[in-house]
Amino acid sequence: MHPTLLMMTTTLLIIFTLLAIPIISTLSPQPLSTSWPLTSVKTAVKMSFLTSLLPLFLFLNEGTEAIITTWSWMNSYTFDISISLKFDLYSILFTPIALYVTWSILEFASWYMHSDPYISRFFKYLLLFLIAMIVLVTANNMFQLFIGWEGVGIMSFLLIGWWYGRADANAAALQAVLYNRVGDIGLVLAMAWMAMNLNSWEMTQIFTIAESKDLTLPLMGLVLAATGKSAQFGLHPWLPSAMEGPTPVSALLHSSTMVVAGVFLLIRLSPLMEGNNTVLTTCLCLGALTTLFTALCALTQNDIKKIVAFSTSSQLGLMMVTIGLNQPQLAFLHICTHAFFKAMLFLCSGSIIHSLNDEQDIRKMGGLHQLTPFTSSSLTLGSLALTGTPFLAGFFSKDAIIEALNTSYLNAWALVLTLLATSFTAVYSLRVVYFVTMGLPRFTPLPPINENNPSVINPIKRLAWGSIIAGLLITSNMAPIKTPVMTMPPLFKLAALIVTVIGLLLALELALLASKQLFMSPKRSPHLFSNMLGFFPTLIHRLPPNLSLVLGQNIASQTIDLTWLEKVGPKASSTLNLPLITSTSNAQKGAIKTFLMLFTLTLTLVLLTLL
Amino acid sequence: MTPAHFTFSSTFILGLMGLALHRTHLLSALLCLEGMMLSLYMALSLWTFELSSISFTPSPLMLLAFSACEASAGLALLVATSRTHGTDQLKALNILQC
Repeated sequence: MHPTLLMMTTTLLIIFTLLAIPIISTLSPQPLSTSWPLTSVKTAVKMSFLTSLLPLFLFLNEGTEAIITTWSWMNSYTFDISISLKFDLYSILFTPIALYVTWSILEFASWYMHSDPYISRFFKYLLLFLIAMIVLVTANNMFQLFIGWEGVGIMSFLLIGWWYGRADANAAALQAVLYNRVGDIGLVLAMAWMAMNLNSWEMTQIFTIAESKDLTLPLMGLVLAATGKSAQFGLHPWLPSAMEGPTPVSALLHSSTMVVAGVFLLIRLSPLMEGNNTVLTTCLCLGALTTLFTALCALTQNDIKKIVAFSTSSQLGLMMVTIGLNQPQLAFLHICTHAFFKAMLFLCSGSIIHSLNDEQDIRKMGGLHQLTPFTSSSLTLGSLALTGTPFLAGFFSKDAIIEALNTSYLNAWALVLTLLATSFTAVYSLRVVYFVTMGLPRFTPLPPINENNPSVINPIKRLAWGSIIAGLLITSNMAPIKTPVMTMPPLFKLAALIVTVIGLLLALELALLASKQLFMSPKRSPHLFSNMLGFFPTLIHRLPPNLSLVLGQNIASQTIDLTWLEKVGPKASSTLNLPLITSTSNAQKGAIKTFLMLFTLTLTLVLLTLL
Repeated sequence: MTPAHFTFSSTFILGLMGLALHRTHLLSALLCLEGMMLSLYMALSLWTFELSSISFTPSPLMLLAFSACEASAGLALLVATSRTHGTDQLKALNILQC
């Protein structure tokens, strides 16, 4: 075998082995040492990251992609399923990034969760999640992807409900599972359609055969799956609720890796979507609506983690818009750069929360620039990267997306919404930075502010480096498959920047307005709409389930049972027969009158027939 | 139909209806029976006269004799009924009821 290919496949299989070793070591009856999370799990992830750099460099140097098919799992006469790993551009680039981010988060989690008695189990769950995510990303057939999909869903449930004594956490975990389940229906629909019409779940075969068929139904199923997993509008409330989980969970699952799984699915199967304009328009409009709506909700939230969660949701909407523009590679670029700064934002939030003794309300923070300079600087850096400040990580992906949106002949409404959401991004980012780092402290004195621990500093530092240079590195090394439009009017080229700066200035103006009173009383309704998340959870979480359950109870159990018992079955025969029986026995009472009446009747009849 | 024919036919039918559709007392049934007998008497007399048949001349009188027997039988039944059931109401005669 060619040495490059040998090195590639060996290292890729080593990654899986390294990640599986800590899990297998938990199966032994010996109790784990207290330093097991750090010495075993974090080391495994760090080693896997370093190992995964080798395939990355091989790919960048020679362009080798590999498909490894190891084990024939189920083979019937007409349908084969085997374990098949695909290492193309997307998975080779995503795996090191995911491992890097996870390494930083695990190191942070060893500080954040160090007082938790079940910290080993926490790390085990995080590692299981990582393995499921890598299985999802490297899947070459739909079955393996589905295994990874469900795996990340389950680990998300277990991790969101980590502090299960809290009712809100249980409700949030249940919300996550239920909303993901609705999306899973779409995925199963697509898989069933593919099994029936394309006779395979292998991606290469799907791409070859599906040219000639009408793919609207499975693609709509995939869009539904992405809506559930990536929290697009309609199935989005679980993502802000998922902030009930510990901050490392939010950083890993709900910013970098799990929520991008839906978008990743669409990117993987993007060759199927290229010709189908209906599905592309659906993605475009859904993404635009999501990004604007969640950015709107983020404007008035007071919990720092919820603001970052809505920011994630908004960026996911932007990724969906990119897919709707038929630019999967740009969406993937945004996934990669977004992972860095979003994870960093979450880690900074976690550091701030712990430093202020578990205070999460930004109205009770302030002045942290003097008190936690490193954390506030990285918070500012992350926010700048998020808004797309030139030449930080977010700029390369976000600006490219806005340029592609501006120069394509597509839905102008989606364009307007996306630009508006971009300006809102600047507004809420400034709001976070203003309330958290600037001004005078608004918390009680003597909080345990301490950012001297290297387990806090080093992860944030690593992710900060990533937020600065990742965009440049990836765009320099990744050859674009579709040629981007290079010439456009200067207004289009600067559109993202102008809109962001306008948002920034507006936000500054609003922030400084807080010390003046322009109106007698505040206008409640716009603020209320945004703060209550557009009343979406309020309306959807109680009324439709109640109606469905009542309908189910009335129709399914009561009416149908009633019908079968009383109208069709045993009681019906009795109620139908009873009048007949009564009238017959009434006529046969042995009364003389009846006899005589019958006598006259028959006589009359005979006479009539004779005459 | 001549008026006489019409009279006894309608009397017969009315008596039959009354026999069949009476409501409360057995006696009214027996009375209707007597009415039918009377109309039959008139009928027989009229037909004997119309058809000028000599051999049927005693028939009305024989009918009357038999009707008297039958009326007495009916009355005996009535008396027996009122002795056993205490009343001659037809509702009491329900011993055949299941």
